[in-house]
Amino acid sequence: MAPLTTASDESNHQALLNKLDIYAIRKPFRNPHWKPPQRRNKNVKQIIADAARKESSVMASQTNSGVATPNQQGSEAVTPANGSGRPLNIAQAEQRLSTLVLGKNSRAAMAATTTGPAATYTNIESAPSFHPSSQRRYCDITGLPAPYTDPKTRLRYHDKEIFGLLRTMPQGTTEGYLAARGAHTVLK
Amino acid sequence: MAPSALADIPPPSGRNSPKPAPIKIWTVKEPPFEGFRPIDHEGYRRSTSDTAIIIDNGSSAVRAGWSFDAKPRLLTPPLWAKYRDRKLNRTFTFIGSDVYSDGTARGQAKNVYEPGSNIVNNWDAMEGVLDYCFLKLGVDGANGRIDRPVVMTEPVANLGYARKTMSEILFECYGAPSVAYGIDSLFSYNYNGGRHGLVVSSSYTSTHLIPVVDSKPLLSQTTRLNWGRFQSAEYLLKLLRLKYPSFPGKISDPQAEDLVREHCYVSQDYEHELSHYLDWTGLEDRDHIVQFPYTEQVVVQKTEEELAAAAEKRKESGRRLQAQAAKMRLEKLKRKEEELEYYQQLTQQIQNTTKKEGKRILDSNDFDDESQLEKRIRELEKAVRKARNKDVGDEDEEPQEPPTFPLLDVPDEQLDEDGIKQKRQQRLMKSNYDARQRAKAEKEKEKARLAEEQRLDEERREKDFEGWVEERRIARQAIIQKIKDRERLKAELGNRKSLANQMRMKTIANLASDNPTKKRRRGGGDDDTFGADDADWGVYRTVATGEQSDDEEEEDLNTNLKNIEAQLLKHDPNFNEESTREAQSDWTKSLVHAFLRGPWPYESESQKEAHQLHLNVERIRVPEVVFQPSISGLDQAGIVEIAASILTERLAENPYRKDVMKDIFLTGGNTLFQGFEERLYNELRAVLPAGSELKVRRAGDCVLDAWRGAARWAEKPQSKASFVTRAEFQEKGADYIKEHDLGNAYSY
Repeated sequence: MAPLTTASDESNHQALLNKLDIYAIRKPFRNPHWKPPQRRNKNVKQIIADAARKESSVMASQTNSGVATPNQQGSEAVTPANGSGRPLNIAQAEQRLSTLVLGKNSRAAMAATTTGPAATYTNIESAPSFHPSSQRRYCDITGLPAPYTDPKTRLRYHDKEIFGLLRTMPQGTTEGYLAARGAHTVLK
Repeated sequence: MAPSALADIPPPSGRNSPKPAPIKIWTVKEPPFEGFRPIDHEGYRRSTSDTAIIIDNGSSAVRAGWSFDAKPRLLTPPLWAKYRDRKLNRTFTFIGSDVYSDGTARGQAKNVYEPGSNIVNNWDAMEGVLDYCFLKLGVDGANGRIDRPVVMTEPVANLGYARKTMSEILFECYGAPSVAYGIDSLFSYNYNGGRHGLVVSSSYTSTHLIPVVDSKPLLSQTTRLNWGRFQSAEYLLKLLRLKYPSFPGKISDPQAEDLVREHCYVSQDYEHELSHYLDWTGLEDRDHIVQFPYTEQVVVQKTEEELAAAAEKRKESGRRLQAQAAKMRLEKLKRKEEELEYYQQLTQQIQNTTKKEGKRILDSNDFDDESQLEKRIRELEKAVRKARNKDVGDEDEEPQEPPTFPLLDVPDEQLDEDGIKQKRQQRLMKSNYDARQRAKAEKEKEKARLAEEQRLDEERREKDFEGWVEERRIARQAIIQKIKDRERLKAELGNRKSLANQMRMKTIANLASDNPTKKRRRGGGDDDTFGADDADWGVYRTVATGEQSDDEEEEDLNTNLKNIEAQLLKHDPNFNEESTREAQSDWTKSLVHAFLRGPWPYESESQKEAHQLHLNVERIRVPEVVFQPSISGLDQAGIVEIAASILTERLAENPYRKDVMKDIFLTGGNTLFQGFEERLYNELRAVLPAGSELKVRRAGDCVLDAWRGAARWAEKPQSKASFVTRAEFQEKGADYIKEHDLGNAYSY
């Protein structure tokens, strides 16, 4: 018997579970022949790695085949929703001498138009900050402004009382505080 | 903060007066189980095959409903628990808040999303959640299809794989006739009537900034900050675990989210507010106490009656004991009297018989001679007298006159054997008596000496006050130093690798080894001077650690310190209550105490207080991360910096730049912090060109407007062209989408 929660008691708990369970309910809207592909659960890192690998292999094959047709000029201005699929593949276009000029032009055009290079999951991530405010230091223990750094533990601290405290901390705790700031030592 | 707080002025002693008991104590809730949700057939009956099912597939909650609805019919966290109950031999599947209905389900619950990211990770769970949505929306699909178009939200620049897998599921598993994807924050912006603007969407797992020009998103200028409510809650949890390492309660993730939601706010001037956050004034308003469930240790509080009864009982038993003792004494007395009588008779007998017979009688009674018998009788007489006195109750103190020792002056020659014996005894008694007298005299002398010392001290104080005070101060400093040293040593002994600990180990090894150390031998023979200096004994202090190893000594130092401080307090005008060590180390002055326990005293015994969390600095520290990601170690620029770079650099050439600045649009649950709008406005104002018009507004409903926008979009006839049909899916592949103004761009 599964443990109870406050919402139910011994007598009605199983009945409640039966009511909530959707495994036993018929789901007519599902395709009875649907077989999910194997190993479809991937984390972001894997997906990005796979995509990068695929992209590089596509690039190589297109360069070698010589039969791939480059997209017509100006396709990037039209939304592909209405038909033709891909943005201009500059690398490929430049392979041909005749389209070299075209490639250069389109690159210039891309910089000029507001669309620019396509946004991908990885390239829209915010860059590290160069703003002086990111140099501000806060006490690792209390979060207050920290004018000092303890050279031994590398913790930043607000005043001497906090210093007394952090000097009595065991090793693991100081590492924990560093980890909260992302400054801990990672052993690989 | 509050005006009332300004009124309290610290008392002259320098200690802060403890605040009155906290007015409000917050509590935490268990994750909500929302109860059974009945299937809603009404919407399906009203719908036609053109009515789209709108699913806002968020990482904090999945919201689903029909495109004609004013708000989503279904709102559920993306959780999925599937397990097999071996006892019942049956598989259970629970979705959303239903997992909270049962302990096992809660333990088995899995999130659809990869923790801390907006990408679906667990597709089995995703299918479960979609099943649940369609079930509860009453979709009665015949021949294995839902037969309704689907509009689903997806993250900005969704990964191809995630979209492909989703399309596969929607088309192949559910048989959707057509599907469209869009970006949630753009739906929300569109719903709130935006045309040119900067969409700042801070949601559960990430924060996006999307410039929109002429209703078209500039996706290439879009920037993502990997921080949202989820990370805030995680960060708060991390901070709280560090703040209260021995916290007995357990803070669950949903509870941490609740804490962030309920107690955190965006500070308008972070630096300034932060540096005064733990000031005593007004701390009771800034410090929020969160009470976790606890069980009070049962201390049976006795009533007045019970106490009286117990006292009575004790008295009664005391009386009984007294009575018993009296009875016993009486019996003893009787026995002694009888004995005395017997021995007196015996003396009579001996006197009346021959010497030989008398000797025999004495022998049989274990006496050597008559004198012993007499002694025995004397003793008994004394004991009986004493006992009688006691019984009667008037024990008169026998006059203490100095004892005489007459025999001592008589030379040995004049005494017989017996006399010599007695003389020896008297000599012993006399020396005893003398020693006692000497000790008494010594005591008197000591008293006189102390009095004299005090007199001299006073004289000195009157003559050379400065010097006297100086001396006292030095002495006080020395004691304080000693106390501090001791504390430091104690702290260092806690660390196994510290120098103090190594020294201790060395000392132990030296003490344990039989042969003297080399050093001593070289130092000059074996003259052991250990103990010549009192500090030598300190060796044993370093050796003995742990409980009660130096309690006594500490007590001693503390009383000495108290004495000196009392003297200084009495005579030195510059030394007042405030300067005593006790006042200086008072908890009300401790920053750490204010941080951990607020402006209230802490009783470590109390289970109630041990289960309390105090949120103070965290309240502004956690939401601040969006503005300064470096606080939490996130190596990205904050939203103000991103917004400024978009507005001043990336859109510098754009003709609509001014219009974009006029509409900074906030959406997403993580922007709901109090003060978010004002702060963003003020900070942007500071970085944007002077005179440029700037407006910051918030979505009408930061959480649900994305769904509403999607529903409204789906209703528009011109949107129909943006749906990918089943045929197109089969022809062009699973990751094919059509671009539209509120969706992602297609990339391969």
